[in-house]
Order: sequence, then C-alpha cells, then structure tokens
Amino acid sequence: MAATPDGQSVYAEAVATGLWREIPVFRMLLGTCPTLAVTAAIKPALTMGLCVIFVLVCSNIMVSLMRKGLRPHVRILLFTLTIAAFVTIADLFLRAYQPAMSEALGPYVPLIIVNCIIIWRAEARASTSGVLVSIVDALAMGAGFTIALCVLATIREILGTGRLFEIQVLPKAFPAWAAMGMPVGAFLTFGFVLGFINYVSRKRS
Amino acid sequence: MLDSLKRFAQESWLLVAASLVCGLLLAATNAALGPRIEMNKTLKLTSLAANLLPEATSFTPLPEPIEVQGLDGRRESAVVFKATADDRLVGWAFKVTGSGFADKIELVTAVDASFQKLAGYDVVTSSETPGFGDQIKDNYYRSQFSGAPADKFTLVGGGAANPQEIDSTIVAISGATISSTAVVQAMNHYLPQFKEQLQQKGLIGHGSNP
Repeated sequence: MAATPDGQSVYAEAVATGLWREIPVFRMLLGTCPTLAVTAAIKPALTMGLCVIFVLVCSNIMVSLMRKGLRPHVRILLFTLTIAAFVTIADLFLRAYQPAMSEALGPYVPLIIVNCIIIWRAEARASTSGVLVSIVDALAMGAGFTIALCVLATIREILGTGRLFEIQVLPKAFPAWAAMGMPVGAFLTFGFVLGFINYVSRKRS
Repeated sequence: MLDSLKRFAQESWLLVAASLVCGLLLAATNAALGPRIEMNKTLKLTSLAANLLPEATSFTPLPEPIEVQGLDGRRESAVVFKATADDRLVGWAFKVTGSGFADKIELVTAVDASFQKLAGYDVVTSSETPGFGDQIKDNYYRSQFSGAPADKFTLVGGGAANPQEIDSTIVAISGATISSTAVVQAMNHYLPQFKEQLQQKGLIGHGSNP
C-alpha cells in the first residue's frame, strides 16, 4: 500500500487531512459562502453537504481518470467543465426529488460550481493521484465540509428556533433568538466556532 | 498547416472528449428527470391556484397551450388550467411573468369563470429583496388584487388611494416600487391576452356573462 514520507498510509492521510488537518471550512476557510448562507437550519445544511460530497467524488474520479492526458493550459477548463456537469446533475436531481429543498437552497446549489473546495481537491489530489485515493480524499473532504455545516446549523437552529430537525429541543419558555437565522447569526456563530477550534488546536500543539 | 492541426488535436482531444461525455451525461439526466421536474412545477402551480380558488376541486390543463406575447415581445406558449368543482367551471388559472428588481417574478394568477374578476395571485418564484420587494408575497399587497376587475390596473403611491378598496387602483409597496410595478405590469400585459385567447376559443363569453 502506498505510504506518505512519514510512513502513514495515503488513505489514512487523506482521511485525517479532510476531517481535521485541512478541514475545508475551519482550517482552510474555503467554501464559506454556503457555510454562512445555508446553515440557518440543519436540513438545508445537510442537503448542501451531501450535494458537495456527490460533486467532489464524481469530479475527483473524472479528473483522476484524465490526469495523464491533462495539459497545463486546459487543466482549469477541464476541471470547471467536469464540476459544472456534476453540479447540474445534482441540481436536477434535487429539483426532481426534493423540490421544496431545491427552492430553499435557491442559487447555492448551482453555485457549488465555484466552490473552491472542489477545484482545490481536483488540483491538489485528483490530478496527481489514483482513482481510489481520490475517492477517499473526496469523501473525507466532503464529510469535513458537511460536519462543519452541520455544527453551525445545529447551533443556529437550536438558538434561533428552539428546535432541531423541526423537533422542539429547548423549553418553550426559551425566547428564540431571531438573529441566529439571519446573516448576523451566521457570522457570529462561525466566528465563535472558529475561535474554539483554534483554541483547541493551540492547546493540543 | 498539418503540423498546427496535429498540435491542436494533441492539445485539445481530452477537452473535446470530456465535453462529449459531460454533454451526454447531462442530456441523459435531463431526459430522465425532466418530466418529473415539470410535474413538480405543475403541482406547485395548481396547489397555489387552489388557495386562490378554494371552491375548485380539480385543475385540468387545456389540451393545447395558449400562445401569448412575453414582456420582451417573444411568443410564449402558456398552459391554462380550467378550475372545476363537480364538473362546474369555477375559474381559470395560469402563470404570468414580471420583470422584478433582481430577476423575473413568476406569478400564478386566477380569475373567475367569466374572466371578469381576478381571484388573486400568488408568487411562484421571486428573488426580490427580503423585507422590501418580497412583500409582493404579503397579504397587504396581494389582497388588493383579490376580487378586482380582471382588466387594466393603475399603480399609485401610498396615500393616493385606499389599499383596502378593491378596484383597479393598486397602492404600491413603500420602498419596493420596482417589484410593485412588476406585478401590475405583468397583469396588464398578460390578462388581456389570456382573455382574448380564451374568447377566441369560445371558452368564455365576449360580454359580461360567460
């Protein structure tokens, strides 16, 4: 099995990178547009995360298969073409089977095309690695992104409505913080969670 | 010449092949999911129309779409739904499009059986600014159209008319003139065309009675 210079298997390294070392939203600050826009509730956040995982896996497979024929000047064009095709498929699927969710997410599903996480993984991993490693990398990065979205959405939905997955979790006497459902709530929650992650990282190091 | 063609093929064959594969994938997905997406749109339209014509128990599209002229002058084919209750005609429902502040505004509009009065409208899609333009979804604005004559509307500023009086004068939403205008403009543009087409097909009468 292929290994990194420090003896770790490439698969384990891909998982650790996606889920912690380079977790896209909290470490690399990538994909912050959907992170702020769709995390007012957990359901849209989860749907967005699953769409990104689908696009990441499919585009990584395709880029990895094409990697030997990639020319420097058409590289980005090929990545964009591949990503756009799979984002459109995800968008059509949502419109067909989850029309209400597709409407709730609005333009943010088509905007996955310009999500830097996907083009970053195509460039950094899929264009230089085999198909299997690229799939593991896509799953780990996608899971890291989805977890980040769900963490923010959980905090915002609970504090903003007192509910989670539309189930009442806080006493009805709790005054819902309407601001948590608005952009200000997104920025504040994101800031506090980032601060907490940085604090934990420094403590560990 | 041959060399440059050869070089072009060497450099771009992958891009051409990838475009072909992606194009085929998209075409196949669209062919498979297209009918379901259209069905979802129709379901949404008829469920909104059912709120406007609560008496109706069934919405049946006319066998042939109606040709109307869009705001940009192009011909559009529009589906008109016949609303019935126990085989009795209670109204008509169709979609009209306005040019909003951010993007197109799509409205489902319902009229009574004789096309004399507007039953009202509801918003199918809109990207208007929350808190401003998206007030076209609110009752304050929508209720001005419910029961109004299905004819030309005039938009006036706040204070120039009473918004609770149901007539052809519509009071604009404060701070959202473009969105208010878009709704009135869409009604004024499409209503006469739908009425004329339905009259030509003999589905409604030419006078005040069907």
